[in-house]
Amino acid sequence: MDVSMLTVALLACPLVFSLIMAALPKTTSYSVFAGLNTISVAATLVLSVVTAGTMLSSGQNIDALGLWLHLDSLSSIFVLLVGIIGFITGVYSISYIKIDIEEKTMPAERTKQYYALFSLFVFTMLLACLSNNIILTWAAVEATTLSTVFLVGIYKNKQALEASWKYAMVCTAGVAFGLFGTLLIYANAADIMPNAHEAAFLTSIMPYADQFDPMLVRLAFAFIVIGFGTKAGLFPMHTWLPDAHSQAPSPVSALLSGVLLKCAMLVIIRFYSLSIITVGDTYPRTLLLILGTLSILVAALCIFKQDDIKRRFAYSSVDNVGVVALCLGIGGPLGIAACLLHCIFHGFTKALAFCMAGNIQHIYHTRDLNKIKGVVEIAPVTAALTIIALLALAAFPPFALFISEFLTFVAGVQSGPIWVVVLVAIGLTGVYFALTGIALKSIFGKAPEGMKRHEVPALMIIPEIALAIVVMWFGIATPVAITSGVEDATSVVLNQSVEELHEAPLYRMVFSSQTKTSEVN
Amino acid sequence: MGYSLVNILGGLLIVTSTMVVVSKTIPSAIKWYAIQSVVLVGVLLTLGLTTGATELLMWAASAFVTKVILVPFILNRAYKKMGSPADSTLTSSIKPAWTIILTGLEVAICFAVVTRLSLPTAEVATPALAISFAHFFVGLTCIISQRNILKQIFGYCLMENGSHVTLALLAPTAPEIIEIGIATDAIFAVIIMSAVVVRIWNDTKSLDSHDLTELKG
Repeated sequence: MDVSMLTVALLACPLVFSLIMAALPKTTSYSVFAGLNTISVAATLVLSVVTAGTMLSSGQNIDALGLWLHLDSLSSIFVLLVGIIGFITGVYSISYIKIDIEEKTMPAERTKQYYALFSLFVFTMLLACLSNNIILTWAAVEATTLSTVFLVGIYKNKQALEASWKYAMVCTAGVAFGLFGTLLIYANAADIMPNAHEAAFLTSIMPYADQFDPMLVRLAFAFIVIGFGTKAGLFPMHTWLPDAHSQAPSPVSALLSGVLLKCAMLVIIRFYSLSIITVGDTYPRTLLLILGTLSILVAALCIFKQDDIKRRFAYSSVDNVGVVALCLGIGGPLGIAACLLHCIFHGFTKALAFCMAGNIQHIYHTRDLNKIKGVVEIAPVTAALTIIALLALAAFPPFALFISEFLTFVAGVQSGPIWVVVLVAIGLTGVYFALTGIALKSIFGKAPEGMKRHEVPALMIIPEIALAIVVMWFGIATPVAITSGVEDATSVVLNQSVEELHEAPLYRMVFSSQTKTSEVN
Repeated sequence: MGYSLVNILGGLLIVTSTMVVVSKTIPSAIKWYAIQSVVLVGVLLTLGLTTGATELLMWAASAFVTKVILVPFILNRAYKKMGSPADSTLTSSIKPAWTIILTGLEVAICFAVVTRLSLPTAEVATPALAISFAHFFVGLTCIISQRNILKQIFGYCLMENGSHVTLALLAPTAPEIIEIGIATDAIFAVIIMSAVVVRIWNDTKSLDSHDLTELKG
């Protein structure tokens, strides 16, 4: 099959399964829905690995459905994130949701809703990554909100309803700003380009970026950062995030935090790439540097107040999205590469963290850290994996996030301003203490009186072990496929060739895989 | 002549959106939103006839279906489904007089920004373009200031109308598929937000956003 047809198949797969599940009666057995969703995410995983793998190994961009879909090295990274984490959280859901239904936390009749929306959510994220049409990209990001509102509010309680309302309202209104910015870019492109019918396609717009009206692009970029930054959870538009992430079922929280936030950042990265051509890099960098730094500092201040383990992880997401924005703000090849690596590494690490929070919630029937004590006595495997998740999230070596955060600091020190680096270091240290505090007080400590040893089913543990292996593997020996993929994606963002990137100080020392390969050849 | 009419209709747009925000009851807000949508259809028709862009005539037809009929129908249905709850106690945190002043300020700021843009439309339809920009902030003001969560949905609808007019002014020949995509997404957003509001009402018998404050920090 042609690789562009495979890209269409990748997009169609979760949508078709979602529609099949939506067409089934509510009374269909749990196994049928769980089975269909597993097939959906497994097929999506295979197709994402094949398409993105083909693109990355060949270096040839893939276009499908005319100009509507476009897969380059930048989108490949995010497509792989959706495919892999979508599959892992999909498998984790099987036992997790079953327990929720058995314990009557979630009404059994919502099984269909959960699985149909889960696959639909995966589809909308893939569409956001693959769409080459900027208006369709906006529609896809908006659709991610619409498909997840009922996932966030799937538990039948007032807090879940409150979270789903805030999520719907804040993100829909926020992303409307993104639409406005997108329309400004589209309108300017239609005005400049000889073929106005191609003005919505990013690959067609980019060659004309230097002819755009700088004032309009500044305005549009600000709207885009506010709009898609809301979805990404950047301060001050982050308010929905702790509520939604804490109230959603843990596999959904993992997918929201691990992947969705990155998809929103991908849209910002695309327009960042366009803006630096039109207005130079000072304006977009400054905007993102400010928002990134503030996100990190605010997250560091708020994270300590949280007694809910998932809210604490949610603020850690604000912190990490802040790091991604900060890297874009620092700019340059090293900053962009650090940004992309952070997107990948945080995706896996946060998925692990939320899955572990899910284990703990099922074992202790609470998310309150004051009541969660002695996990190591009650559920040793969960405890061990949670400690890995916490240390990985706090960016300890040898875990993956250590590498991307270290590169962030190197890039920051190299290009400054140094006071921002100092502020960020203080903020990240605060988050580090908040996360390790969970390990010290809740994972260790004395277990509640009379509580018996109790571990979650193997089907929840296995995906978590896979994630733990990945965050260690990427930290100890980051695969060449990732570094070279990130290198190619960095060249896409900065509109420079890989050879030009290597001229940047320090960059060549870190990302020399392609050079080595070419030298050998 | 055509653009003058567009600018006059733009003035009507901001009047009707202010009326949506200051409306004391949901039926009144729905009525004013429908009126605003009729004005928006008028803007699209006038622009279509002025610029010769046949796409805009199609947009006008689809905007009539989605905004004049569908959105008010969906909101009205949600309101009726809840048993037409009395909401007179859920007043806005901003008084009507201040809402009008704030709207004026928002338009003035947007006007100042629009005059700095070097776009052909910005030269001939500055007031209408400024008003379409300002709709974003009027919508945002509505969302932030309203205690009634059903009323907050109107804020989003106003923002969406703003982007619709902006697109029509700046890219009148945009393919119909783009307009349909935006309108469809907006319809789904209104349906889903209305459904969440109905769920909240069924569970709590309240539409007060102040009752949705258990999740803090």
